[in-house]
Amino acid sequence: MVNSISPPQRDLPGDFAIWIFIFAELLVFGIFFVAYAFARSYNVELFNASQSTLTREFGAINTVVLITSRFFVVRAVAAIKNNSSQICVNWLGAAIFMGAIFLFIKIIEFHEKFSEGITLSTNTFYMFYLSLTFFHFMHVILGMVILAAILFKARQGGYSAKDHTGVETGASYWHMVDLVWIILFSLIYIIR
Amino acid sequence: MSEYTEYTEYIVRPCTLVWLILILLTVFAFVVGELELGGITIIATILLSTLIKGQMVADYFMGLHRVRWRWRIIMYSWLLLVTGLIGFAYSLGLK
Repeated sequence: MVNSISPPQRDLPGDFAIWIFIFAELLVFGIFFVAYAFARSYNVELFNASQSTLTREFGAINTVVLITSRFFVVRAVAAIKNNSSQICVNWLGAAIFMGAIFLFIKIIEFHEKFSEGITLSTNTFYMFYLSLTFFHFMHVILGMVILAAILFKARQGGYSAKDHTGVETGASYWHMVDLVWIILFSLIYIIR
Repeated sequence: MSEYTEYTEYIVRPCTLVWLILILLTVFAFVVGELELGGITIIATILLSTLIKGQMVADYFMGLHRVRWRWRIIMYSWLLLVTGLIGFAYSLGLK
C-alpha cells in the first residue's frame, strides 16, 4: 500500500539537544563567512590574487565527496527506518569512508600551502582560508567520530525502526557539516 | 509496513535526484570558478545556486521539509541572511 497523503508535520529529527548545537555552530560559521566577505570588500585585489593560488579542483572534488557522503547517510537513516541494521551499517561505513577521503584531500591541500611557506600571518585572505577550512576540518573529524559510534551501536543491533533517534541525531550533525561546506566552497574557492 | 512508503512509487528516489542536482550545481560553480568570472550577475548566480543547494540539503537530506515551520524558519533565515550579507559585502567590493 502506498500512502499518498502528506505526512503530518513533526518536530526536528533526532535528539533536540543536537539541534541547539547545530544552530549554535551555524551561527559561528555564519559570522565567519560574513566577516570574510566584508574583509574582502576592503581588499578585493589581494583576495582575488590569493584565491587564484588555491587548487580549485581540490575544493570541487571535496564538495562532491561530502555531498555523496551525505547521500549515504540519508540511505543509512532510510535503512534503519526499514529495520535493516546491516544495510544501515554498510551505508554509514561508506559515509565515513567518504569523510576520510575528504580529510585526505584536505591534508594534501594544507601540506601544499604550508610547503609554500603560507601561514595564518601571510595575509588576511590566508588567515581566513586557513582558519575557516581548519575549523571545518575539525568538524568533519567530530562528525566521523559520531558516525563511527553510531555504526558500532547499529552493528550490535542497538537501533531499530522504532528506536533510531541516535542515527537521526548523528545524521543531522553530519548534514550540518556538509551544509557549511557548500557555502564555504562557493565563498573561498569560487566567488570573486 | 513503514508509515510513509511513498518513495516506493519513484523510479529514481527523491534523495538520489537531490544528490544529482547538488552534483550538477557544484560542477556549474566549478566551471564558473575556472573561468574566473566576476561581476554582480555572476556573484548573484553563484549565491543563488548556493542558496538552492543549502535549501535542498536542509529540506531533503536533513528532512526539514516535514518539520514544523517554527524550526524550518530558523534554517531558512540563516541561509538567506548569510548569502544575502555575503552578496551585499561583495557588491561593496565592486564599487
